[in-house]
This record gives sequence, structure tokens and C-alpha cells, in this order.
Amino acid sequence: MSLVSLKGVKKSYQLGKTEVVALKGVDLVIEKGEFTVVMGPSGSGKTTLLNIIGCLDRASEGSYRLDGEEIGHRDFNDLAEVRNRKIGFIFQNFNLIPVLNVIENIEFPCVIRGEGGKELRDRVLAVARDVGLEPHLKHKPDELSGGQRQRVAIARALITQPQLVLADEPTANLDSATSDQIIDLMLALNRDKGVTFLFSTHDPRVMEHARRVVRIHDGAIVDGTDSAAADVARMHASAH
Amino acid sequence: MFNLARLALRNVLRNRRRTLITLAALLIGVGVMVSIRGLMNGFQRSMVEGVVTGQTGALQVHKKGYLKNVLASPLTLDVPATPEFYSKIKAIPHVTAVAPRIMFAGMVNLGDETIFITMQAVDPALEFKVCPLRKATIVDGGKFKDGGVPDAMVVTTEMDKALKAKAALTKDPPALLAPDKEGQLSGENVSLVGTLALNGPGERKLGLVRIDVAQRLLKMEGRATELLIAVDNIDEIPKVKAALQAALGPEYEVSSWEEIAKFVVDARSRQEVIVKVVAAVFLLLMLLGVANTMLMSVLERTREIGTMMAVGVRRSKIVALFLYEAALIGALGGVLGATVGALVTAWLNLRGLEVTAPGSNVPFIMHPYVEPSYIVQVVAIAATGALLFALYPAWRASRLRPVEALAGG
Ligand SMILES: Nc1ncnc2c1ncn2[C@@H]1O[C@H](COP(=O)(O)OP(=O)(O)O)[C@@H](O)[C@H]1O
Ligand SMILES: [Mg+2]
Repeated sequence: MSLVSLKGVKKSYQLGKTEVVALKGVDLVIEKGEFTVVMGPSGSGKTTLLNIIGCLDRASEGSYRLDGEEIGHRDFNDLAEVRNRKIGFIFQNFNLIPVLNVIENIEFPCVIRGEGGKELRDRVLAVARDVGLEPHLKHKPDELSGGQRQRVAIARALITQPQLVLADEPTANLDSATSDQIIDLMLALNRDKGVTFLFSTHDPRVMEHARRVVRIHDGAIVDGTDSAAADVARMHASAH
Repeated sequence: MFNLARLALRNVLRNRRRTLITLAALLIGVGVMVSIRGLMNGFQRSMVEGVVTGQTGALQVHKKGYLKNVLASPLTLDVPATPEFYSKIKAIPHVTAVAPRIMFAGMVNLGDETIFITMQAVDPALEFKVCPLRKATIVDGGKFKDGGVPDAMVVTTEMDKALKAKAALTKDPPALLAPDKEGQLSGENVSLVGTLALNGPGERKLGLVRIDVAQRLLKMEGRATELLIAVDNIDEIPKVKAALQAALGPEYEVSSWEEIAKFVVDARSRQEVIVKVVAAVFLLLMLLGVANTMLMSVLERTREIGTMMAVGVRRSKIVALFLYEAALIGALGGVLGATVGALVTAWLNLRGLEVTAPGSNVPFIMHPYVEPSYIVQVVAIAATGALLFALYPAWRASRLRPVEALAGG
């Protein structure tokens, strides 16, 4: 069973009288443990795709199965628990909660589902160590650099041990050196801890790091729809 | 459990300036509500005391049926004005003094002119025991007050002016004329010795004479039309009333000051309406301030709300978070405002406030006070009101769609 399986997913927005089609029938399969990059120019539908996969938005048409469960028709408020348990989010503009310090931001998704105590605190410290935030545990977001904030967001995405971490252009607001560090961190987490990442970018440089690339253009996937194809592509790439 | 209250507190403390402005609005609103209540309490207490110790006494005894015919001042419906009868009344616990009065309609005759006048005949010594405030309302009337001149008469300032104008035209002394108990017109010479200030709304053409003069004039020796009764504690009035009625029997009717001075009761209920309207206006203004603050906060925190929803916070929790924040501000502002209002009231209470009641020309000192229960009530109203007025902003927050919330700002 695939972790993510999209079939014929369409998404259109009504803008006044005109209909903007953001996704024109996307098929996509993601397996556990993959590190997939969705690549495409601005406006190609990356955010729309990730929002649907992240259960934040609903497809206009088509089917979406997450971990074997049909999600397509459910409202996002109904899906609060699904998001909380199965998905971690990393955003372009970090989206930390300003009144909470680093530890509190990291533990937030667990606290809202009722966890607490020493066990959680130990997990938070472990994750903070994994992402290199140990010296900043008591800092508020506005006391951190962009790279540090994104590390907090990564730690927050990981604390619930989700099946899938979605990162929508996580490096877009970072300088290139910091971007590389953040990408290296996510790659390491994928390699060492088996975290499944789906990562969107319009930065061609990121390609170098990617293990699987899905190309999206004008709301349609033009390359890399399923994992098998990706493997073939990778084999080809390594053969050359 | 997800500690919403703690998060709410942090959010309240986060935009200090805005929180302070909202708190200031609540402080002023609640402060005004408490202060106005305090002023009104003080005013009403003074008004009641003024009436009880300046006009009506705590209780009055009449002949059965007198009050129904009070406009005719019927002299035939009279009561004994004798030491024996007073003793019977004074035997009731809490009664401290009894004073007789005869109310009658008369005329003052000066030369060829006659002026109609409403008369009260009193026993000055007893009257001032029951109505001590009244003593101060008599200006230059020493000869009336201490009994130095037996036929002394005092009249209201207005009346005094009219009489003085007439007196200038004649050499004859003024005479008080009235139909006696049998309906025969008779007269007594009087000496105008002073004036009577009004200490509340009431008859403007009023005169006072000693009761022995009136008893002679009206052929009512040993009688009065009403007896005024003073008690040692206003709160005991209902009990005293019942005991007195039982002791005197159905031939007499015992009334409390509230039944006599209906205008005070009416004025009090009108003032209550004003206090409530003013309080409601201030409450509404400050709660609109809270609603505005919450709405601004929701708009500002769109992205944060989207983030919370993305990581799994349900809509109901978002509503709860904003309601917590509003209730916190409401309770805090309410407590601050109530404290300030209570302090202002306490200070005015110690200092005393000189006021003149409408329809009166005798200033009195009032001492504002508030009941602790009112303060508790106001704080509760501020907090629940803030909660109610935050419902809409909180609902707006919960309706945000994270997709759009996260994209914005
Ligand atoms: N809420 C919306 N209303 C109308 N059009 C939208 C909305 N969100 C996205 N779109 C449109 O859908 C297309 C895809 O957008 P998006 O998924 O944000 O692309 P990307 O993330 O690749 O830049 C764009 O043409 C964009 O203008
Ligand atoms: Mg995008």
C-alpha cells in the first residue's frame, strides 16, 4: 500500500467569472521513506498539490488516499486529527507561533493532542538536538535567524513522528548557504530516520540533492508520476 | 490538556499597547459604573434621611381614612395628642420620639388682603426631636423654635415675600384665619418671625405655627391630625409599623415614610433607570472596544491561526482561545475598574460631597458608598460581556481556511 496515492486530482478556483485550473488531473504515488522533490516554476500548482496532500484543501475532482484511507471528500476541520497524527508541515515563511519559545513551538502539535510530561520533554530535546537547536531552546521565534526558525519548524514537523513531512518551498526565504544546510538536514533525516519528505521548490539547484524529482508544469505532472519511474530515471542517471 | 488559558494569557500580554488601551477602556467604563452607583447610593440615602428626619418621620399615625381624604385636610379625622397616647406609642421597641402635627388650610389676613396658605401646626420641641433636619430649615426663626413668642409663625420664602409686600400697605398685625373643626371661621393674631427653607419638593406656600395656637383656633384641644414617629434604626420600620398597628387597633392607620412621601420612592425609581441607562451605555462602549481589539487581533494573527489549524487545532479550540483572551481582558479590566471606582467612592465617602437636591434650597452632605455585591456583579458583567462581544471575532477566526490564512501576510 502506497503512503500517498492521487488519481486524476483536479483543482480549480473560481475567480469572479473565470475558472482558474490549478491542477489538471494529477496522478502521483509516494511510498514510505521516499524523498521526493516537486519541481516547477512559480504558479505551476506546487502549493495547491501540497495543500491537497496535506489535507488542508480539498480536490475538486479525483481520488486521494493517504495511508490507504480515502480523504478526498472530507472537510479540513474533520481532518484535524489526520493532519496532527500523520503529517508534518514545513512552510516557506516558517509559521512559528510568536508567543511560544523554541521548546513550546516544537512540542505544540503533541500538546494539543494531550501529550505532556517528561517523556514528551525528552523527545523534544532529542529532536531539537537532531536539528541543531540545542543552544536556543528558550528563545522566542523573533530572536532566531531564518535558518534557525526553519529548524524549529522541521523539529515541530518531526515531533509527532508523522508518516509524511510536507515542505512547501522551505528554502525560498533563506540564503543559499542556509538553504543547503536545511536541505542537507532534511536529507539526513530521510536517510538516518527514514522520514518521508515531499518537498517543493522552483530552484533548479535543489535538483542536485534530490533522489526523486516530480516535474509539474501548468498544473500537470510532466515527469516522475510514480516511484517506479523515478527509480528507472535514477538508474539511468547513475549509469551516465 | 492543551493549556489554552496559558496561551491566551501570553497573547494578551503580547501586544502590550493594545491590551493597555483596551484595559483603559474597561477601566473607565467599569470605574464610571461603580462610581455612579456609589454617588447614587449616597444621594438616595441622603434623600431618604432628609425626608425621614426633615419631613415625614419614619412612621406616621393617622385616624383611619385620613390619608384617603388627605387633600381636604379633614380636621374631624383626628388623633389624640396627649402624653398618655404618646406613652402608648413610645412603649413600642425602637420608637424614640413622637410629635403631633395639625395640617390645615388657612388664610393670612393683612388689612384688606387675604392670602391662602397651607398650614402645619407643630410642637417645636417634639417636632425637632423627630425631624432634627427641619430645625436648620427655619431661618431667623429663633423665637418660633424656642417658644419665645407664643404666636410666632414662619412661612416659606416665597410666602414671606408676598406677605411683606402686603404688610407695607397696612398698620394692622397679620391674622391667621381658618375654618375650625365645626366649620366656623375663626382667627388668631400671629407674628411673622422668620422664614422656612424647603428641603425637598413640596408645598411652596407653607406656614408653621405652634400647635397650641392651632388647637385654640381650630377648637382641637388635645388633638392632632397626625403623629410623627422617630425610630432608632430605619431598617426596623416594617417591624415597628406592625407592632404599632397592633397596639393602636383598627381605628388608626400606621404608615411608613415610603407611603407618605411617594415622590421620594418615585424619584428613586427614576434615578435607578438613569443609573442603569448610563451604566449600559458605558458597558456597551467598552465592550465594543473589546470586540474591536479582538477583531484586530484576529486579522493580525491570520497566519498564526492557519498554522495552528494546519498542525491539528480544531475550530472549536480556536474559538475557545479567543474567548479566553477576551474573558481575561474583561476580568482584568473589570477588576481594575472596580478597584478604581471603589477607591474613588471610598474617598468621596470620607470626604463627603455637598449637594443640593432638586426642589430644595438646603444643601446637604452626602456620602457615596457601593455594596460589595455590586462590585462583584460589575466585574462578572464585564468579563461575560467581553466574552459575548468576542463571540463574533472568535467565530471569524475559526472560519478562516488555513490554505488562505497561510498564504496571506
Ligand atoms: N485561492 C486561489 N484563488 C484563485 N487562484 C488561485 C488560488 N490559489 C492558487 N491559485 C492559482 O492556481 C495556480 C497554482 O498556484 P500555486 O499552487 O500557488 O502555484 P505554485 O505554488 O507552484 O507557485 C496559479 O495560477 C494561481 O494563480
Ligand atoms: Mg507556492
